[in-house]
Amino acid sequence: MAGPAQAPLSRRRFLAAGAAAGAVATVGAGFGLGPFHRETPAAAGDSRGSEPFHGLHQAGIATAQQDRLLFAAYDLITTRAADVARLLAEWTDAAARMTDGLDAAPAAASSLAPPTDTGEATGLDPAHLTLTFGFGPGLFTKNGVDRYGLAGQRPAALADLPAFPRDALDPAHSDGDLCVQACSNDPQVAYHAVRNLTRIARGTAVLRWTQQGFGRTSSTTSGQVTPRNLMGFKDGTNNLRTDVAGFGEHVWVTAADGPPWMVGGSYLVARRIRIHIEVWDRSSLTDQEATIGRTKTEGAPLGGQRERDPIDLSAHHGGEPVIPVDAHIRLANQDANGIHILRRGYSFTDGIDPQTGQLDAGLFFLAYQRDPRRQFVPLQQRLAVDKLNEYIQHVGSALFAIPPGSPAPGQPIGAALFG
Amino acid sequence: MPKALVVLLAVPLALTACSSGGKTVSEEGKTAPPASQAAAAAPKTIEVNLTDDGCEPRNIAASAGPTTFKVTSAGGGVTEFEVLDGSTLLGEAEHVAPGKDGSFSLTLRPGSFTTLCPGGAKYDKGTLEVAAGPTAAATNAAQSKAAVDAYLVYVKGEADQLIAATAPFAAAVKAGDVARAKNLYAAARSHYEAIEPIAESFGDLDPAIDARAGDVALDQWGGFHRLEKALWADGNVTGMGPVADKLEADLVKLRQQINTVELEPAQIANGAVELLNEVSTSKITGEEDRYSHTDLSDFAANLAGSQAAFDALKPLLAGAQQALSDQLEQRFADVKAALDGHKGTDPTGNGFALYTTLTAEQTRALSTAVDTLAEPLSKVAAAVLV
Repeated sequence: MAGPAQAPLSRRRFLAAGAAAGAVATVGAGFGLGPFHRETPAAAGDSRGSEPFHGLHQAGIATAQQDRLLFAAYDLITTRAADVARLLAEWTDAAARMTDGLDAAPAAASSLAPPTDTGEATGLDPAHLTLTFGFGPGLFTKNGVDRYGLAGQRPAALADLPAFPRDALDPAHSDGDLCVQACSNDPQVAYHAVRNLTRIARGTAVLRWTQQGFGRTSSTTSGQVTPRNLMGFKDGTNNLRTDVAGFGEHVWVTAADGPPWMVGGSYLVARRIRIHIEVWDRSSLTDQEATIGRTKTEGAPLGGQRERDPIDLSAHHGGEPVIPVDAHIRLANQDANGIHILRRGYSFTDGIDPQTGQLDAGLFFLAYQRDPRRQFVPLQQRLAVDKLNEYIQHVGSALFAIPPGSPAPGQPIGAALFG
Repeated sequence: MPKALVVLLAVPLALTACSSGGKTVSEEGKTAPPASQAAAAAPKTIEVNLTDDGCEPRNIAASAGPTTFKVTSAGGGVTEFEVLDGSTLLGEAEHVAPGKDGSFSLTLRPGSFTTLCPGGAKYDKGTLEVAAGPTAAATNAAQSKAAVDAYLVYVKGEADQLIAATAPFAAAVKAGDVARAKNLYAAARSHYEAIEPIAESFGDLDPAIDARAGDVALDQWGGFHRLEKALWADGNVTGMGPVADKLEADLVKLRQQINTVELEPAQIANGAVELLNEVSTSKITGEEDRYSHTDLSDFAANLAGSQAAFDALKPLLAGAQQALSDQLEQRFADVKAALDGHKGTDPTGNGFALYTTLTAEQTRALSTAVDTLAEPLSKVAAAVLV
């Protein structure tokens, strides 16, 4: 219990002091750079700050992609729709507070009660924390049962994903009735958010699975440097940029799409993609570059010089296409096939596969889109012949409707669905 | 952070001690004035510090009741602090300067209020969230005493049954009748598991009665689990006679010590949560009864003990905390139903299936049910604070 002699320390004041210290450290680091320096994925000055929570769209989609992820999928265990609505209202309040760098809830009035906030983010900057909530198919019908009277509200676009060739989906890493995507430049801040939301949910929803992501594998705005995935290649060079006009037509649900409660929302496909790291590491550079269709160091499309050179799919050399017919960028290229999605994925590593002793690591693929039936599904079907499949396997899969944002305090996420 | 700053000076020391220990019965508790009277008499104090930025804390959480705002300044530009209900001014301190504190008192009622600090460079507005304070019923000392008395009746009854049920178990051990002793083991110790937080408050009695292998030095290891190992892992109780005798003697000591126990309702509430924490950390994992696998019998006893504590406190929750009480009632029933789904016929299991017969999914479902109950149960201690 705090006594009167204890010096008052507010989280925000603590932050101000920390920011000054951070600035000094950045200058120091600059002097330490050698002639060959690694690109810093995000400028140090960008790592602090807060994102607005309220808005037409939920944060964490068009937001410049943060460096760290904790994704959580939940099973609803209540039988009453009112409990779900109340949970969403409580989640909305807590998320707005935590996004702003506050505790999940106002402090308890008594020290005999457990603290309302778990405390591990005290003194930490929110580091651009965003919390994005989604509804899985199980909210509408589960095992054929319409638990909450919402079956009629299920969007047509929230159709179960078809089985794709080579899928090896583990139920322990798949599906979920609700989801939370927590992104921040500080992994402890993201963890704190999910932990407190999970605590709030106790009795209504339980964690089904979580996925941590330690490094972003996409850039979502023009200013961001293209990061590398665990294959060592730049990833997401041709991703949609949310600060470039026109991206919204690929991402946001419109009134014409419906249903009305989803307008301003989006759809999220999550795929846990295991990379067979050991096999990849013993492949020749030529094989690796032919698999991706880009050079490894620069990230230039084969036949080009620089990362952002145009991809020439028709170029031939010695009778063979310069970019092989089964190269990943030929099949996945968004300009060539006319399918655009907003990728927002992260690298993960989860220890070792107990069966083989190999690294359990890869890409946690997250993609936002307006209609998975017209975007992710045909795209993934094209990738059935991708040479990359020799090195990867989809081991987890989930699909969520991401409702529009909470426009103002007191208006919970999903209110239009439960209204 | 707000919670670091809200200083509740009025909480008496005796209660501070039980909030940290939870289960200990402090010596001071016997001589200190009843907490209910002390808390009811003194208003709470909230310290507010004015800076250039605004007011610290910006957001304040408090409980209903008489409250004094003590406003100080370190010499910044802000010199005024106000509490408003909508646009209605409830109280304010003006012209606050270093060395010139301002104070004002309000009787706060539950709700959301606004604070203002005109001229704050970063913000000039904050929030004051007032939670419902201790219920009127809980401030009734007689009702508190009735709750404590009811719980102590339960505790004494369990302790008596513990001695009675352990006698034939110890006799079987001493007679070298392994099969009979195995069948009596779980039933005997269940009465201990029902009141374990009380036993744990008597220093070395709990380790003597209930230590598991590795908890204490091997040459000092006795109690139920030493006998459990002899019965199941060794299949031989040769030399266990003195251990059985010592166990019986320790249980008599426990029963005598219980006569001296003094409790506050909040301690009983914390004990109820502790019993579920026992389930979460050692029964769900099969660690408690690692040789006999009779963990579900202990689980049932922990749950029954927790429910008994809650039942004793229920009258204190009536009224303002009725919704919490109803929720807990339902969730106790849910956990009991989940556990009753694992009845068993093995004679050693005391009516429950052996832990080793559960699938991973089944233990996870039980664990979830316990977490679902324990979270709201953890709110009871503050709700019955007198």
